[in-house]
Amino acid sequence: MTDVSLDQLGPVDYLVVEFPAGSSNFTGEMAAELVALVDAGTIRVIDILILTKNEDGAVEAMELSDVGELGELQALEAQLAELLAEEDVAHLAAAMEPGTVAGVLIWENLWAAPFASAARRSGGQLIANGRIPIQAIIASLEADEALASKGD
Amino acid sequence: MPLRPARVGRVGVIGHPVAKTAVVAKAVTPGPSPVAKTAVVAAAVTPGRRRRRI
Repeated sequence: MTDVSLDQLGPVDYLVVEFPAGSSNFTGEMAAELVALVDAGTIRVIDILILTKNEDGAVEAMELSDVGELGELQALEAQLAELLAEEDVAHLAAAMEPGTVAGVLIWENLWAAPFASAARRSGGQLIANGRIPIQAIIASLEADEALASKGD
Repeated sequence: MPLRPARVGRVGVIGHPVAKTAVVAKAVTPGPSPVAKTAVVAAAVTPGRRRRRI
């Protein structure tokens, strides 16, 4: 990470994907898609942790390297920057239900770096960003349709 | 298994307890008509599908 200047760094995001007990079905598909995003230069994986929350709420964190068969993730594991600290584990696990396992992924959006850099060079400052939930789009469309049907 | 020593004692980057994202959890739960919802959303993001009324 040190050979990349801050100005060239793309936005860094995280997600926590929870797998309720008995519902996980790891076929390697997720790993393959993640590796494809990295290979395409779309993202750079910065950190990965696997969290387990017991029924009593106790949380255990596991490094990716502690997973037996990494398969396609082996190459990624060697390049992780270990950005997350121990205190982050508790914060991230707060979203988990007891009795679940979750994967935490931190990544840099390489695709956005050149645009963000250009925006900064142009004097722009990021003042807001976010994600629009699919449910919000559906609700908006449904409201539109309801409004249109009233006019009929 | 324990975390690597490099993660211990450092200031974290998340900063606060993370709340469960209800909408996302709902989205990935198979509903009565996930295919229909997918089609609706796909239509919504199609160019020219909607015009802003400001």
